Amino acid sequence: MHSGLMRIAGLTAAISLVATACASPGATPSRGAGASPTVAGASPTVTAAPPSQDAATPTQPAAQKVTYRLTTWAGEDESNELQELVLDEINASQSEFEIVHEPAPADYYTKLQTTLAGGTGADFMWLSQEYVAGYASRGALLDLTEPLKAIDSPAAAVDRYFPDVMSTALYQDHVYGLPWISQPVVLYYNPALFDAANIDYPDDTWDWDTFLTNAKALTKDTDGDGTPDQYGFSASGWPPVHMFIWQAGGDVISDDLKSSPIDSPEAIAGAEFYKSLIYNPECCPTEDTIAEQGFGEMFKAGTVAMFMGGASDTFESADGTVLDIGASVVPMGPTSRTTFAWTGSTVVNSTVENPELAVKALVALTDGIQHWKIVSPNMDLATKEVVTASLPDKWKDQKGPQVEAILASTSDMRSFNVIPRQQEWDDLFWREFQDKLYHDQGTAADLAAAARTQLEALLPE
Amino acid sequence: MPRIEWYAETLLRYAFVAAVIVGIMLLTYRGLVAVGVRRQTATGFALILPWFLGFLIWNLFPVAASLYLSLTNYNILQTPDFVGLANYDRLLNQDQQFWASLRLTMAYSAITVPLGLALALLAATLLNQGVRGVGLWRTLYYLPAVLPAFVTALLWRFMLLPTRSGLVNTATEPIWSLFGDNAPRWFLDPDTVLWGFVIMSFWGVFGANTVIMLAGLKNIPRDLYEAADVDGAGILPKFRHITLPQLTPTLFYLLIMGIIAGVQIFDIGLFVRVPRENFLNVYLYQQGFTFFNMGYASAIAWVMLVIILVLTLAVFRSSQAWVYYESEARR
Repeated sequence: MHSGLMRIAGLTAAISLVATACASPGATPSRGAGASPTVAGASPTVTAAPPSQDAATPTQPAAQKVTYRLTTWAGEDESNELQELVLDEINASQSEFEIVHEPAPADYYTKLQTTLAGGTGADFMWLSQEYVAGYASRGALLDLTEPLKAIDSPAAAVDRYFPDVMSTALYQDHVYGLPWISQPVVLYYNPALFDAANIDYPDDTWDWDTFLTNAKALTKDTDGDGTPDQYGFSASGWPPVHMFIWQAGGDVISDDLKSSPIDSPEAIAGAEFYKSLIYNPECCPTEDTIAEQGFGEMFKAGTVAMFMGGASDTFESADGTVLDIGASVVPMGPTSRTTFAWTGSTVVNSTVENPELAVKALVALTDGIQHWKIVSPNMDLATKEVVTASLPDKWKDQKGPQVEAILASTSDMRSFNVIPRQQEWDDLFWREFQDKLYHDQGTAADLAAAARTQLEALLPE
Repeated sequence: MPRIEWYAETLLRYAFVAAVIVGIMLLTYRGLVAVGVRRQTATGFALILPWFLGFLIWNLFPVAASLYLSLTNYNILQTPDFVGLANYDRLLNQDQQFWASLRLTMAYSAITVPLGLALALLAATLLNQGVRGVGLWRTLYYLPAVLPAFVTALLWRFMLLPTRSGLVNTATEPIWSLFGDNAPRWFLDPDTVLWGFVIMSFWGVFGANTVIMLAGLKNIPRDLYEAADVDGAGILPKFRHITLPQLTPTLFYLLIMGIIAGVQIFDIGLFVRVPRENFLNVYLYQQGFTFFNMGYASAIAWVMLVIILVLTLAVFRSSQAWVYYESEARR
């Protein structure tokens, strides 16, 4: 019996080995040589640098490089650009470290959370602006404040970033990330539809009234069936209502993060203006039409004349033709022309080994991305020369003439005031205020007053 | 670029685990033999050890852990703080969204489970009438059940669009017009969200249930029908007194599985954005993975477990009154 058991045990082990051998190629690369630096003690894991590609070069002793893992939400095209335009150059020029990219385009934040919780999180991570405070407050991120001071590089000079953009990477006045993009919302327009309606293109003289009047004038029933099939503008929760509240002089979370004054007269004015646009068939497609035809797709299809989008948005038709699209700064509100800036930062895992070297690698990475993405959050790089040089050849004709409007928008851009429980706050703000407002379930004043208490319960104490 | 050393390390780790399990099996065997257990019995225990370890590690431990986490404030990234029953107090006494999600989930289950069973029974009965090519029909009915849920969800979201592109509204618009109503806006209107989900549910459940019921119908002894024919029974009496009683074990099984699946419904809710509350499981996911409230999400999971347990027990208790087992009847 004993030998029988041994045979079964041996067979089990053999099957396990075969099964694991078959399964492992599909497995996610684990920590280790190619993963985060993990050698016991303070010394990081090192890997041999790739051998020289020049076959004639005599074999040299392999240099020792620390490997850092970067995870991002980049899809295939963006990943390829990141690798070719940024990482290859960094890895070729650096002797101390190399950065390996592990894109996770689907379900990015769930993967991020679970890998961090499981102790297998990447060393560097992209975070959208509304996440940095949350991850920092939960101890997941490395405090970069002091290490950055020791590095002499434009990307490490936090005082050279647009202050409102930099603020999204701060938590309790400490730096937890380096922003690599600041995309101000600009007003894109379809010149052909403006020409056909004999309306001047948008410019910096436009205010809310001009905008609404022209949006209505550009809304037309071209086939005479009683319903419009061309619209002046389109809104569906994007652009964020925050932008219009800011333009009216209000705010949704105060600068000190202590209140949510969404029921102030200024905030109400901004919300009511947004309400006059969204799903209003006099100027904009209804919710049903957007669900059917797609929000951004309608602008690309030439059925919407104006569209507010991020500075790096590009537009091509379904058959791949690059469209002729103009850009302007957003219309002036009652008190300002403030525009929303979507911001992304790269942060460092708090468990990273050799933090000094990791921050050095982060700075190199950020510097590379800031020369690739538009618009750089670093004020010194937000210039016509840098932005124009960053444009891919395919988009130079479309984006080139837009650069001036994009750069003009940077002086008015701001980001959200972000709290650790931002996702809950956003959900509640949408559910209890915006959604009800857009579906005529109350006035802006009544809804704001009712929602404020609940929203403020989520603010930091 | 992936490198061979990543996979080599993974392979070594797997091999190490396999070796450890084999080692534990051998130690268990020797230990049991040493204390006087018969070799045959010791071999049995040693061989079931991997499964038992798997059960402990992958089933029992997570279940116990989630019960503990439901009593904590746990944000996934930091150590849980014990808060006693605070999560349950908030859930049951303060969280309106939980109750709204629970209402939607229970309403969905209450409609789709019996209706799905009734429609499946009708289809299975028709297919059991000596239809030619029954294998083909069975395959066609079952096909939707093997499609990925997100494909089904996206397909139905498109079909239930409120405008001209929505096939359902295009087809039914004349009927709505007859009554002077506009066609429903389905997933864009909080009042019709439930019915959108109900229609979607028949796509998969109806087909899967039909195939299982058809198998149940095929197992009913033919001599029962022959005896009824001799007695001059018609179609309805035969269905009422033979088919239904003989099929009750199958109905019982499908009812239990339907209740569990109905309360746990998740995938279609995740892929179809709705204006207000969503299913309870989607709310759980949102709390755990979007809001970092994993302790609270664990409490929701345990409340769901209790709901499923109560409903399942109620059906089990009632089964004595309506489920007919021929073997028990013979006794």
